Amino acid sequence: MSRKHFKKYTYDISLDEGVGAQLVSWVTGLMVFFATLTLALNFGLSTVAKTWITSLSGTLTVEIKPPLSPTDGEKVSPLVEKKFDDSVKNVLAFLKTDADVSKSRQLPESEIKSLIEPWLGQGTEQDEALNAIPLPALIDIKLAPNADVAKLKSSIEAIEPGATIDRQNDTLGNVKMLVNTATLFMMLLTGVIVALAVVTISGIVRSKMLIHQSEVETLHLIGASDEYIARQFRRHTLRGTLRGALIGVSCTIITLLAISTVTHTIGSDLFTHLKLMPMQWATLLVLPILSGSLIAHLTAQATVLKELAKLP
Amino acid sequence: MALVRFSNIGLRYSTGAEVLHDINFELEAGSFHFLTGPSGAGKTSLMKLLYVGQKPTRGTISMLGRELATVPRKALPELRRQIGVVFQDFRLLNHLSAFDNVALPLRVGGLSEKDIKKNVTELLGWVGLGEKMASRPPTLSGGEQQRIAIARAIINRPKLLLADEPTGNIDESIGIKLLTLFEELNKHGTTVVIATHNETLVKRFPHAQMHLENGMLDVRPKKQMKAA
Repeated sequence: MSRKHFKKYTYDISLDEGVGAQLVSWVTGLMVFFATLTLALNFGLSTVAKTWITSLSGTLTVEIKPPLSPTDGEKVSPLVEKKFDDSVKNVLAFLKTDADVSKSRQLPESEIKSLIEPWLGQGTEQDEALNAIPLPALIDIKLAPNADVAKLKSSIEAIEPGATIDRQNDTLGNVKMLVNTATLFMMLLTGVIVALAVVTISGIVRSKMLIHQSEVETLHLIGASDEYIARQFRRHTLRGTLRGALIGVSCTIITLLAISTVTHTIGSDLFTHLKLMPMQWATLLVLPILSGSLIAHLTAQATVLKELAKLP
Repeated sequence: MALVRFSNIGLRYSTGAEVLHDINFELEAGSFHFLTGPSGAGKTSLMKLLYVGQKPTRGTISMLGRELATVPRKALPELRRQIGVVFQDFRLLNHLSAFDNVALPLRVGGLSEKDIKKNVTELLGWVGLGEKMASRPPTLSGGEQQRIAIARAIINRPKLLLADEPTGNIDESIGIKLLTLFEELNKHGTTVVIATHNETLVKRFPHAQMHLENGMLDVRPKKQMKAA
């Protein structure tokens, strides 16, 4: 007898045949694509947020207002200007020696102008307006670990009572709220996708059981246990899911690379920070496949056992 | 000792009328029975109850020494594996070869592939299909398909063998050969129940008869048959 008589077949039930045999792959592929994309966006956003939060926390900005001329068109007297310069120097000198400060630096005029520029726009008129504006002195402070901010603030105010000290708390709070809201939304979206996947896989398994009802009943009647029959559907669904998950993840990577190329072309500052770490890439590749397989496995198992329980 | 005992069995499908009423009988181990009756008398329904493919609406069934109502669902497959069934429509799996169809009861029972190969090859040779092991049912004749169905039913050496209209689609000479095969199995201790409406065959093989008419069962022992 030739070996083909004993060729190992895949399933006792003809699950690979008939209409919709590959349906589970396509459906899970689509689900995994959306879930992975959501996960990638979540990772990207958390990276951006981390960059923003790191750059904002542990810093202070001291603003010393410029002296204003008493009337339009008149120049500020040299004495007043000297007083302003001395105030800035005194604050800087204090900051250099204070233990709560790890680093301080006065922003050059050009940097302050570049910060204001986007609000005024570009052009000759705008340049003239920018040159006419009295610019404040801005000092960036990088705080030492466990710095006593309240003490530092009162010390600066003692040197220069007119100084405004910005702890960036409002901005930091807004960024955190934005990130938390976005994370919550994406978690909700992922939950919806998972729920949709469960419902869809369950529906596909149920319809497959209906298509192959006669074969299922035959197996049942010749003494196959529910677990034996469920294993057939589970394996088939798992294979389809793995295939679909691989397609879904591949499509996500292609989409992310396309987005990356497009955003580099745009040159947006936001998207420059929207980068994924190697660990996040690894998670993106592995997590959807693993979780997709687990969901398919459990859903198929539960659905088949529930349906088989209807048989005597 | 009775292998099968039906006590006050009634069966109705959904909310319809009762198709079996007050069925009472016992099948002794090693006995051979014909289940006769006109079409629609309830033969297939009674067979379903016998192969645990249906639960009765009322009454108790005792099978292989266990009362079915008390057998947990998990233990039912093992019980079913001790019952061989030749279905009227064979119920072969068309995407599987003759070999794999016959091997199914052994595979679901967890036998090793080595033992499956040995047993199935031997049995298919015995039913004359040694050369057609790789063939799929749709490529085989009705008679060959029936032999696969019989091989599948007996591969597990069942204690109870049930056949629903096994001679329905075959000519008389093959029908006689088939009944001789069932008698052979019966001699080896298998309890046999054959549902048929083939009176000629029933007369030729004078075994006990269970006659169903309008859902009521009349059991006629072997002696009585001979007298008739």
